[in-house]
Amino acid sequence: MVNVDVPTRDLTVPFLDRLAGLWRPFRNLGAARSGANGSRSLLTAAEFQEELAILGLSGRTFEPEDYSDALGDFLDISITVHVIPDSWYPELSRLLALSGRLGELRYSEQLNMAAIFVPGSLPPLVLTLTILHELGHLAAGDLLIEPDEPFEEDDQHAEQATFETLSLKKGKKLARGYPFARESLREREANLRASYALFAGCLGNDSPYALDMHDVL
Amino acid sequence: MSAAQHQALVLGSVSFVAFIFFLCFLLPSQRTKFSVFDACNLLFVALTFGAVALLDLSGGRAEIMVAVMTELPVVLIVAWVCLALAGGLPAQLGTLPAAPVARRPWLRAILMSAPFVLLLSVGLATTVGLVWPSPALRVYAPAPAQFFVWKGLIMAPEGFYSGLAAVVFMMAGRTPGLKRRIYFKNLTFSIGMVCIASIALESTVFAGLRVWLSGEGRRAILETLNTLEAGLAISCILAFTAGLSLRYTPAVATTLLHRLQTGWLRTQEQFESLEWQAVSSGVADRLTYASEAVVAACRIRGLSESDTQKALATIRLVAVMRDPSSETQHITPTAARKLYELQEEILCDDILASKISWAAGWRSRAHETQTVKSAPLHDALKAALELVDNHREGEGVKTPPLWYYIVAASAADAKMIDPAHLSMQLRDGAEHRAAVEAYDAARCALRRFEDHD
Repeated sequence: MVNVDVPTRDLTVPFLDRLAGLWRPFRNLGAARSGANGSRSLLTAAEFQEELAILGLSGRTFEPEDYSDALGDFLDISITVHVIPDSWYPELSRLLALSGRLGELRYSEQLNMAAIFVPGSLPPLVLTLTILHELGHLAAGDLLIEPDEPFEEDDQHAEQATFETLSLKKGKKLARGYPFARESLREREANLRASYALFAGCLGNDSPYALDMHDVL
Repeated sequence: MSAAQHQALVLGSVSFVAFIFFLCFLLPSQRTKFSVFDACNLLFVALTFGAVALLDLSGGRAEIMVAVMTELPVVLIVAWVCLALAGGLPAQLGTLPAAPVARRPWLRAILMSAPFVLLLSVGLATTVGLVWPSPALRVYAPAPAQFFVWKGLIMAPEGFYSGLAAVVFMMAGRTPGLKRRIYFKNLTFSIGMVCIASIALESTVFAGLRVWLSGEGRRAILETLNTLEAGLAISCILAFTAGLSLRYTPAVATTLLHRLQTGWLRTQEQFESLEWQAVSSGVADRLTYASEAVVAACRIRGLSESDTQKALATIRLVAVMRDPSSETQHITPTAARKLYELQEEILCDDILASKISWAAGWRSRAHETQTVKSAPLHDALKAALELVDNHREGEGVKTPPLWYYIVAASAADAKMIDPAHLSMQLRDGAEHRAAVEAYDAARCALRRFEDHD
């Protein structure tokens, strides 16, 4: 689950909004060529391996901490993971569990930092995957989606191979493709990233995808 | 036989021998898309050089066309290699770039431009050659300046891209921790590409000497360079053949990995997170007291922390599986059995079982990890299924550990399971009596503690 702290606006914002409105058609013209406001399929394990290579983790065994550190360095943001013991906030686990969530990601564009909160009582595997899931949202650039771009959730085409994507405001992301317009797909892709990361981190250079990056012919 | 025909005969023979080797030895056992492409190119080169060796193709434009035909396979190989390194080949031929390229977008862009630049330069060179014909096949004949331009147009980009590819192969091979076979494979391809780059450089120098060098030593220098070119061509073919012969099969196949990601991991995560949600939100209300009693009984009997965790995980599972609420409806004995079988499948594979692990805690100082085998869930699933699933009574636990008896006593006391379903074999043993005693003592202690509060 993702929560974005939208920066507070001052008097210059309406002017900038209008300017952005004028600029948008030109920007979208260029973006359409590179995939923004276009469509793409879900992330594959091979594409994820490419992201790992960019982070310098391809072919290496790594833990979620290493992935978090490398991602933070690449995105030039500070990422902190807070594992909250149940004894500190006994209600946190209950409230998260009742809402059907396992963790929470907070991102502040102004402070250039992201914080992940997870309850300490999560089983170790779920804890690891939840942290990787939230890191996956950061890698995908899901937090950089323009807040003023409405999108109708439509489940009718859930099985299609490619899905609509959205444009982004200024910011850095690791993924090559743009975030999906549908939230359910963004969540699904974050789950995929988490499972790919877990296996890639465990297998290191025994991963067939890591091997493919050193054996191209 | 002219010098050109002699040169063509040598290169054609080498190419043909290499093609036969590919056909008989390499393709049946080590077939890749690139090796098939390479074999086709070798056949094409052998036929072209064969035609030059057998037929008298003298005449400006004819010589240019034949010379371009002999260069084309090399140009295509360089273009293919650059595209493969950049991850630009069509999906069915492989999409991943080489690791050093993935980190450098500028390098990727340069490598991706290879087919366009190379084919454009060949096209341009053909035009130049047809407009200003030159004796391209008469190896030692003096040539006009446009011959140097023609040769340079093909060789400069070919040399640049093959040199760049050689560097990338070398970088890919030098990655720390890489399998030795993959290291040597990249090394041989790098040598092969260095040979192509050297041939391009040598050919350009050769063309320049044909245009501008005169005097007595001219022929000897050109012959030496020609021999060097033949040697480089043979080395290049040998290097690529050796590289393609070196195959490495990964310990974990892509299909198996995909099955684990979509099968086991997804199932285990859903199972554990649903269980956590059920327990944390207090849905399984009988659980709190039972789990406290189980932990206390384990401590009374002096069980290890690992066994206590297994007992706790088991009582949780039994509570959640026996809870009729909608939140826990997905945690059924059937789902538990499916997960257990998936875990058993992983445990059958020694490599997977030892490699797939996850941290027991975030940034834990001890760097403790859990595996499918060591995580409490695996044994807990088996024990919970034994206690809950009445249909499997006959396959009961042969010699259950003490923690299992404690969980059984607790689950029966909390009415999670019917005590009658515990087999006589389990109820009559000394372990069972010891567990019941420990459980009763723990329950009394907890009651005293509650009364005291």
